[in-house]
Amino acid sequence: MMGRIRRLVLDTLKPHDPSIIELAQSLSELDGIEAVNISIYEMDRKVENAKITIEGSDIQFESIMEIISDNGGAVHSIDEVVAGKIIIDDASTPQDPYQG
Amino acid sequence: MTPLRMRLEQWREYNKISEAGKIARRAFANNSFDGVLTMIGVVMGNFVVGVQEATVVLVTGLSTALAIGISGGWGAYLTESAERSHAVGELEQFTLTELRDTKIGKASRAAVWLVAAVDGLSPFLSALLVVAPFFFAPLLPSVAYAYYASIGMAMLALFGLGIYLGRISQRNWILSGIKTMIVGVICIGLSYFLEQVTRSP
Repeated sequence: MMGRIRRLVLDTLKPHDPSIIELAQSLSELDGIEAVNISIYEMDRKVENAKITIEGSDIQFESIMEIISDNGGAVHSIDEVVAGKIIIDDASTPQDPYQG
Repeated sequence: MTPLRMRLEQWREYNKISEAGKIARRAFANNSFDGVLTMIGVVMGNFVVGVQEATVVLVTGLSTALAIGISGGWGAYLTESAERSHAVGELEQFTLTELRDTKIGKASRAAVWLVAAVDGLSPFLSALLVVAPFFFAPLLPSVAYAYYASIGMAMLALFGLGIYLGRISQRNWILSGIKTMIVGVICIGLSYFLEQVTRSP
């Protein structure tokens, strides 16, 4: 049995309509999902770039992809995945860029 | 969620994406207006030349109602589907994905059918309403009553449309009703005028 996905961060491109309100609602209705956050970081004339963060106890990646494409969106990249029993953030290392 | 509720929810969503409701509302008012005025033309044309047979008016009226209904529905289907597929195609160039089977594609196709149905049915039904008194002509003392009732129905329908538009634009709806009725009066006047012009030696 595969480990459960707890957090997923996706970079997507989507048309303005359906809006991120509908998209967030549709995603949050899926089983195994506890919270959805969508933020727009770039706006074009017809489309927008949205960062989708999803957290839950058992995120089904295929179902997420299906909802995003049904809403006319396309996933550009999977920016973060957390799987396992708990959610952990990436560990800081001396090689990380200075963020002071 | 019941299937009917789900279907309604889906329509609500499609309407939000395609804005079909707004277009259908405009098409309803515009085409109903067309239907009523066309039928005023048909009824007045028969009246001024003195047609006494209700079936003649009825058949002419119903044929005209059908023709404007088909013309409205077919025309709207062709233009709306052309416009919509152009818009979806344009959006596909931005998303770089196929949108046909997405909510956007489905909403677009639903909008075409809705607008075509409203464009076809509204002139047909409004025209049918005007010509309806001729169905009851055998029960009336003379065909003249059917003519008066028909014009009365047309005026009422125009007034109703004016009220509807007045309420949408949030202006004085009685004034709006009177304004649309005036258009009907102008049509009646023109029919009389035409009869005078064509009859004069």
